[in-house]
This record gives sequence, C-alpha cells and structure tokens, in this order.
Amino acid sequence: MAEFNPMDRPDRRRRNRFRYRNAKYAYCMLLPAFLLLTVFVIVPLLMAVVRSFQEYRTGKFVWFYNYEYVLGLKALFKSGAASDFLISFGNALLFTAVITVSMVVLTFLFALVLKNMNNRLGSVAKTLIYVPFFISGIIASIIFSLLTNFGGGLINSILISLGADPVAFETQGILPYIAVIVPTIWLGFGYNTLVMYAGILNIPKEYYEAASIDGANGWRKMIHITIPNMKNYFVLIVINLVTANMQMMEVPYMMTGGGPLKKTLTPVLYLFNCFRDANRPENSTIAGAIVVMLFIAAVNAFVFKAVRSEKSQDL
Amino acid sequence: MKKITANKVLCYIVTVLVIAIILFPIIWMLPAAFKSKREIWQIPNTFFPKHFTTENFEKIFSLNHNGYNFLRSLGATFLVATVSVVGSLAVNMTAAYVFARLEFRGKKFLWVYFLATMFIPSITILLTSIRVVSALGMTDSLAVLILPGLVSGYNIFFFRQFYLGMPASLEEAAAIDGCKPFGVFLRIFLPMSVTPMIIIGVSTFMGYWNSFMWPTLTIINNSSIAQVMQVIRVLKTSYSGEYGIVIAATLLAIAPPLLIFAIFQKKIVAGIAISGLK
Repeated sequence: MAEFNPMDRPDRRRRNRFRYRNAKYAYCMLLPAFLLLTVFVIVPLLMAVVRSFQEYRTGKFVWFYNYEYVLGLKALFKSGAASDFLISFGNALLFTAVITVSMVVLTFLFALVLKNMNNRLGSVAKTLIYVPFFISGIIASIIFSLLTNFGGGLINSILISLGADPVAFETQGILPYIAVIVPTIWLGFGYNTLVMYAGILNIPKEYYEAASIDGANGWRKMIHITIPNMKNYFVLIVINLVTANMQMMEVPYMMTGGGPLKKTLTPVLYLFNCFRDANRPENSTIAGAIVVMLFIAAVNAFVFKAVRSEKSQDL
Repeated sequence: MKKITANKVLCYIVTVLVIAIILFPIIWMLPAAFKSKREIWQIPNTFFPKHFTTENFEKIFSLNHNGYNFLRSLGATFLVATVSVVGSLAVNMTAAYVFARLEFRGKKFLWVYFLATMFIPSITILLTSIRVVSALGMTDSLAVLILPGLVSGYNIFFFRQFYLGMPASLEEAAAIDGCKPFGVFLRIFLPMSVTPMIIIGVSTFMGYWNSFMWPTLTIINNSSIAQVMQVIRVLKTSYSGEYGIVIAATLLAIAPPLLIFAIFQKKIVAGIAISGLK
C-alpha cells in the first residue's frame, strides 16, 4: 500500500476514472454469467451448507449431528463398525489410488512410445486412443458388459471353450473391482496420454543434446531430464484423477450396483441412492456430500501448496 | 544402428497393440447389435452374427417404453446440447473477455467467486439445486436441463488465458474508432476465438450429451424430453432379456459424439496440448 498523501487524491481519482471508464460495460457483460452462477451454484451451495447443520424436518440447528449421522464416527470408535458412507469412502480411496497410479504409469509409458512415432501411425494412434473419452460411464458399462456378462459374455465364452468354469464379475473375489477399474482406465487413457505427450514435447531438445554430449544413456536421460521436467504434468494429471475418481459413480452404478456387500459402493453412488430414498433424512446426505467436497478441496490445496513450496525452493 | 531399429519395431508393436486394446470393446459391440436375442449371449460367442437381423433397430425405432421414445430422446438431447453449447459459449466468453481486458471495482472478488465454483462437486449441490429449480417452477422443462450447467469456471479460465495472450494493440485501434467494449468483443475477440470455441464447444456438447444424474433427478414426469443416457439406463434394466435392443440404442447414442469428434479431431487433439497447460 502506498503512503497516504492528501495531495495525490484528486490525481488518483482522475486516474481511477480513466482506469474504470469501462466498468459499467464490464458489469453488464458479466451479469448473465453472474446471475446463472449465483442462482444455480452459489445459492444451492449456501443452502447445502446451512441445511447440513439443520434438523431436516423442523429446521432446528443441530450443528454436527448430521455429519455424525452419516459418518457414524462414534460407532466406529466404539465397536469398529464402519457406516456405509465410511465404507464407500474407503472404497473410493482404494479405487482412486489404484486408478491414479496405473493411469499415470501407463499413460506416461505410452506417451514415451508415441514420442518415437513421428509418422502416420503415431498420429492415427493419437486420434484413436482418444475415442473412449467421448463415451459416458453409462455407455462404457454397457459395452463392457458384453465382455463380462456371466451368461454369455466374451470372457466367459472363452473360459468355457477352454473347459474352465465361468466367472461372475459382479460377485467373485477381486473381479468386481476389476469390473469397475478397467472401464474407468479405458475411458481416461487416451486423454491422459495426450496430456503426457504434450508435456514430453514441451521439454527443450537442448537438454537431451547436452546430456548426449556428456555421454548420458537413455535411462539416465529419463531419470534426470524427462521425469523432473514432467513434474507439473504429473501433478496436473494426479489432481484431475483424484478429483474425478473420488466422484466416481456411473461405472460402479452400472457394472456392479455397488455390490457385492458394498465392496464397490462409492460415496457419490451412496449419496445418489440416499437422495432417491425418501426414508433417508436428506440433510445428513447433504452433510456427506459436503464431506466429499471438503476432502477434494483439501487434496487440491495440499498438492498445490506442495508444488508451490518446492518451486520456491528451486529459485 | 541395430539397437535403434529394434526400438522402433517395439514402438510399432506397442502402438498397434494399444490401439487394438482400446478399440476392441467398441468393435466387439458393433456386430452384436445385429444379433438375435438368443445369439447375443450364445456360447461360444462369435464376432459376426450367424443370422444377421435388423430387428433390434426396428424395435428401438418404434420403442415406446413407459412413454420413453428412444429416437425422441436422441432429438431432445441433441436440442439441449446444441442450445447449451451456444448459450454456454456466449456467457463464458463474454465473462472471460471482461476478466481479461476490462478494469472494474470488485474484479478480484468476482474472479475468485467465478473460479471457486470449479471445485464444487456436483453431488454437493445436487439436492439443493433440485430445490432451487423446483422453486423456480423449472422441473420437467428444457430450462432445467440447459440453464444450471451453462456457466463454467473452467471455461471462463480457459478463454481468459487465450485472451490474455492477444496483443492489446488490437482493441486500442478499435477503441480510438469509438468502439465500445461489447463491440470490441464481437468484432475482434469473437472472430479470433474459433479454435478455443471448437475445443470448449465440443467438450460442452459432450458434457450435456453424456449427462445422466441431473436429468434422471429432474426430468421425471415429462418423458418427451428425457435425455438419452437416462433412457439407456432404463432400457438396460427393462430389456436385459433383449440385450440387442440395448446395444442398438448404445450404437445410436455414441454416433453423434463420435461424428463430432471425427469432424473436429485435429483441432481437439491439438487443443489438449493447450488446455493441459493450466
């Protein structure tokens, strides 16, 4: 802040009048977006926050009662019995961890392969692997059910021709997890590969040339040039994947319905079912949805902060 | 030299393999739409139908299941998605232009106000949004499908980044000629934003075309404007015995997005390099 000097006030006012000469146009042009955003996002958000603290019939403020109702922390500490919401949250953490790690590794490796494919096949590949990105989770589940169906899906058809027993993807062992994870990776693989590819292309060629002169082999170039320079892209992809997969809903809803025994139930699917169940006190469901939001915001903030502090250390 | 060639061959093999794996589920589905209901789950399962039939498509064209008409839902979804693309581009681009080029009091606050909405999961405001739209009398109407999703913090951010990179001399000349900000936006910024418009327009279209949760909860008593994902979900539960119908519907439902991708693929694939650089 500049020091207060009464002499420059008229001057500053004149400057401000020039600076803000188009302010009324700015407000007019922002108005549609502002109104839509306020009515359809901010108002519902404020309502959700207020209602998460209220008893749902009387509107009496019960503070964290709804949060306790949906989280069931007391029961967890007393008897070790997790509430459905906590179970679903744990499932989402597991899915997110597995999907994020496999996605980052697979897309990074394939982006490296694509970098060596400066030809027609390479550009065709970039287009074709992106196709699933245009398909919704609902559609992907229908497509994959042709492969995983118990009665006559392709996988069981092959197993039976080989003389093996058919497998039930909806119930058996780790298969329900696979039935959720594989279509989800399939949906996002192309997009994330292309983001990785863009990152790899962004690394200045001189770095590699300098390393070659110093006699570095391919492996050392990878460790000392490619991976460190890709850090921001890794962070971007991890944030996107965590945000998206903590909100995963359509694929488990269609593939397994959250079963067996809530093993593939996710928070958003659980809350979606609660919203449609008239017997559930809806304010506790809202409280659960706010927990999801806070968790995602916390992860985002944490990762951004970690990246930023590391950057400042570099300087 | 030999090592490099071996590397190249490996890259070729991996690329072809990855393309095959990614496309396989879609390719496997194509002929299934032409199989009879008995053949679709037959063991051993074959790729080509033994008895080619178009009855699944005939049934889906004439389908009327609890008032759900599949072709009508395709039309309704296309209408909603197209109107939303136009509306969303108009609203988000003007807002982005204002944030990139104009000065006004409260700019910082409003910028945070707009951007913060990027981090709100749809599930968090789902129920209260339904309360808001029903208080406004919008339930079961086209407006409830179109309006709530129009403004996007991410899209505004994307266009603003694009506009910040444009030289200031552009609009200074126009301002000297007496052009007001809205004129500058319409005559200079709009014509120069074709590429980002395609990138964002296509992703907006996809978002609306594939939306499932919102229409399921807001279009309840007006099946004439039911959205395509909503109807497909209903079909999957009701026609599990005639899965060919579901597959035929799925084929029809992925055709418009894939067609749009085919038209704009070069711009879209190139656009990821831009949009990835947040």
